Amino acid sequence: MPDRTQTRPLPALDHPLASDMQDAVLHRPQFEPRNYQYITVEPISGALGAEVAGIDLAAIDDATMAEVEQAMLDHLVLVFRDQNLEPADQLGFARRLGQVAPWPYAKPMEGYPELTELVSGPGDINNFGGSWHTDSSTFEAPPAYTVLYCVSCPPVGGDTSYANQYLAWDTLPEDVKTGIEGRRLEHSTARAFGDHATGKGSPDATTTPVSVPTQHLNLVSMHPIVRTHPKTGKKALYVNTGFAFNFEGCSDETSKPLMDALATHGSLPEFTCRVRWRPGTLVVWDNRCCLHYAHNDYRGQPRTMRRAVVAGERPV
Amino acid sequence: MPGYISTYTYQPAAGHVPQFAPRDYKHFSVEPVTGAMGAVVTGLDLTTAGDAAIAELEEALTDHLALMIRDQDLAPDQQVAFARRLGSPVPWPHAKPMEGHPEITELIQEPNDKYAFGGTWHSDSCSFERPPKYTMLYCVESPPVGGDTAFSNQYLAWETLDPALRDELEGVKCLNSDEVGYATVATSDEVMGHTTTTIAFDRDHIEEVLHPVARTHPVTGRKALYTNSSFTAAFEGKTQEESLPLLEKLWEHSITQEFTCRLRWKKGSLAIWDNRCCMHYATSDYPGHRRHMRRIVLEGERPV
Repeated sequence: MPDRTQTRPLPALDHPLASDMQDAVLHRPQFEPRNYQYITVEPISGALGAEVAGIDLAAIDDATMAEVEQAMLDHLVLVFRDQNLEPADQLGFARRLGQVAPWPYAKPMEGYPELTELVSGPGDINNFGGSWHTDSSTFEAPPAYTVLYCVSCPPVGGDTSYANQYLAWDTLPEDVKTGIEGRRLEHSTARAFGDHATGKGSPDATTTPVSVPTQHLNLVSMHPIVRTHPKTGKKALYVNTGFAFNFEGCSDETSKPLMDALATHGSLPEFTCRVRWRPGTLVVWDNRCCLHYAHNDYRGQPRTMRRAVVAGERPV
Repeated sequence: MPGYISTYTYQPAAGHVPQFAPRDYKHFSVEPVTGAMGAVVTGLDLTTAGDAAIAELEEALTDHLALMIRDQDLAPDQQVAFARRLGSPVPWPHAKPMEGHPEITELIQEPNDKYAFGGTWHSDSCSFERPPKYTMLYCVESPPVGGDTAFSNQYLAWETLDPALRDELEGVKCLNSDEVGYATVATSDEVMGHTTTTIAFDRDHIEEVLHPVARTHPVTGRKALYTNSSFTAAFEGKTQEESLPLLEKLWEHSITQEFTCRLRWKKGSLAIWDNRCCMHYATSDYPGHRRHMRRIVLEGERPV
């Protein structure tokens, strides 16, 4: 495709993106200590993520929910252990966060159109979500939150890692920020889901097959590369490995060096945390300001997760 | 000239089965942390452990590549004594040793320091002719949260490379130089003027050496990828410009999430890792807090 760069050129990559990273990270605490009345919140890394205890998600009152929402804004990823949630309980909790939306790219759970069961079978080669990504960014309004519940999992392996994209943006050098602010990326369903989207299937399909409906086959959304979180007002880098490959008006080839550098930058260990699953663990994350990655280091062992997504707004 | 830089297609695989077989340990408990590598050891007192326990500990280290041993209370002498049971502690010339303990380097991060030690993916001292086999780090003080160490299994990194590329890289060496890793930070007043543990780097005595890009572990016989962006300058006989396209691909591949684990520190934890088959990364995400570690490295063999 011809390079239709009608705006200014992309910033040159003549210095490392992470040049100021250590200084920036070392001197910017990511969350303030708060006094919670109803829950306890234990951060798991300096970047993002916290374990929340003292709560039964199946019976949560408004005051407790208000604290959970505050913790969500502070920590981006919340981990709730030892829950015992029926599908209806999980949906009930997800609805406290907003409008639950069905996910049209896989068959929903029987009797629960808003839930998707993500099942890894012992013969699966690939797993679901094994790249740094944010959920469903090809939609015009991608989900705000993902609510994932672990029904069963292997004793070790299959962790999910998260990366704080406020930090990714904040630590970019000023010239790169200036060079990319206002630009948009092309997020494409056909490219994100490849053979699944064309209906050909894939030789290493997962037990939960992805199946893209016809009306989504050509779905492309242009989203800003830096978005402003509607609640915190903070800016977050919004790149998505595997969903967006080029800047609007630019070829893949022109875009790739910068896209790659931003993806590497956005997942630096300083920006991440890692969550280990147990049956009964529920994790909620905010797709507007963090990336996640599902580790495929448990081949041969079955795993079942239940997922709900909460509707979000068009990124601005 | 080998054609490996221009001829191959880069198609790594990432997913894998768990990397260790379950074992019955007699002297302590071992809890693996990921399917790739890393385990937490509990129920062991390193000051009183018998020879059988130490032998078992080394077996666990061979299986899991990095161990985090909890709940120790080690004076510097006791840490040295434990290190001697696993090999020969060697001084580390890039920093001033701990007073009275030439084998120990104290790694101290004060709340306002501008540089955090070890914040890149690397295997320790691979610009030495004989890099240390094990590194042993004891946590004297840690921030309430943050400062985890991440590790990456380099057996997996090698084994998941495209077989055609592995064939081409067989026997290829890399030039590893301390100039790559230390020149920028160690010569910067801006950085070193605000840093507690300083790195000594002498531009007139650059330490560099050729090591195989895949080394064979002397105990397991498995091959591990052995190159990283902190020390590797180029392939043998190639310019940096010629080498970087492939090196950067290898470095990116070497830290694939699926190969990694992340270990959290607590006061009194001691970690040991095997530099011959894993890399590590010190995460600097604890602004305003103090962190104090004591490090000992154990003599290793020349990589083959």
